[in-house]
Amino acid sequence: MNAKKQLTEGLITNNPVLVQQIGLCATMAISTTLFNGIGMGLSVLIILTCCNVVVSAIRKIIPGQVRLAIFVVVIAGFVTIVDLLLQAFIPALSSALGVFIPLIVVNCIIIGRAEAFSSKEGVFLSFRDGVFQGLGYTCVLVLMCLVRELLGSGTIGGGILNGATSFFTLDGTGAGIRIIPEGFGAGALVLPFGGFLTLGCLMAVMQYALRKSNEKKARKEKEVKE
Amino acid sequence: MKKAIDFIKPAVILLLVAAVVALVLGLVDMMTRDRIADIAEQTKTNAMKAVLDAESYEQIDLGAEAPADIDEAYAAEGGGWVVQVTETGSQGAITMMVGVDADLACTGISVTTSSETAGLGAIASQASAAGDAFRGQFVGQSGTVAVTKDGGQINALTGATITSRAISTGVTSALALCETLG
Repeated sequence: MNAKKQLTEGLITNNPVLVQQIGLCATMAISTTLFNGIGMGLSVLIILTCCNVVVSAIRKIIPGQVRLAIFVVVIAGFVTIVDLLLQAFIPALSSALGVFIPLIVVNCIIIGRAEAFSSKEGVFLSFRDGVFQGLGYTCVLVLMCLVRELLGSGTIGGGILNGATSFFTLDGTGAGIRIIPEGFGAGALVLPFGGFLTLGCLMAVMQYALRKSNEKKARKEKEVKE
Repeated sequence: MKKAIDFIKPAVILLLVAAVVALVLGLVDMMTRDRIADIAEQTKTNAMKAVLDAESYEQIDLGAEAPADIDEAYAAEGGGWVVQVTETGSQGAITMMVGVDADLACTGISVTTSSETAGLGAIASQASAAGDAFRGQFVGQSGTVAVTKDGGQINALTGATITSRAISTGVTSALALCETLG
């Protein structure tokens, strides 16, 4: 399995959110500002990569009967580490994401990849899988944040841009760049059901693009045959 | 028949994995504990200074008689109090600092933790113009504070009446507590 194929899988053809449709709860709940989206995406990326590597490294000694228990212990360990580090070093992000960081423990993306991929494949492949699947998750989160934040609150880059002391900030004072005047945004998009709407539209676009590209490929193959 | 080792091996491996994870967690906790405590302390002091500026604050022992929604109360140097109140909002607990001056008027409020709906109730805790305007309404209030819908003086946040009510209730109980203290 080569890197390019893994990357396309993570980002597009087997994207965790848009195609596998796992890990949706946190996706709906936190994709309201760019700060949250990038923070959550990167946290999941780091935890997923670490768990994949560890699970893959000990896959030969994990007894089949207790594998899920071991996955959960490993995942919970890494999630707690990331949670503590965020609290200590990026407190603004920790308070913005709140309970959704500890909830990564039960995020299906991580246990799903452990069960489906890293418990069967080598350490390096699993590392790459973690990075690429994590990137796929982060990209979808960022896209959803951009749409929901722009249409819902009328800003771009809320939380990280346009801070009180500097333009780029991690202290949570960032107000974002205002595109739509205050009070004119469609506030409903910031609510959870706005998340479902946004995600539905993104999935539709994705399926359309995937089908188009498959049709094109099929037509090309046909031409080659003829 | 299965041998005893077939039952013991999985248990021992699970125990080992859990032990390693626990060890690593212990180390990370050791590294971050002080920093996290400092940040919590700093956040609290900042919130107290924001509602009632003073050189120092002295915690008041409320005893068992205190109302359930009051967490802590501090006497500010130079008169006045800062009270930490927790009320139930629409999505969960809202913890706020309420400053009260010696004349029993509110000097300001600051929401320290809340999980209200983004874009609606969350405005109450945000450092934005709308948030400042909402919190500003409480300055100078005394006695019973309520939203206009309930016949009070506070204009509720649009779409967040429950949040606004919870904060009004919090300010009211802080003011009531200070009356017994003063």
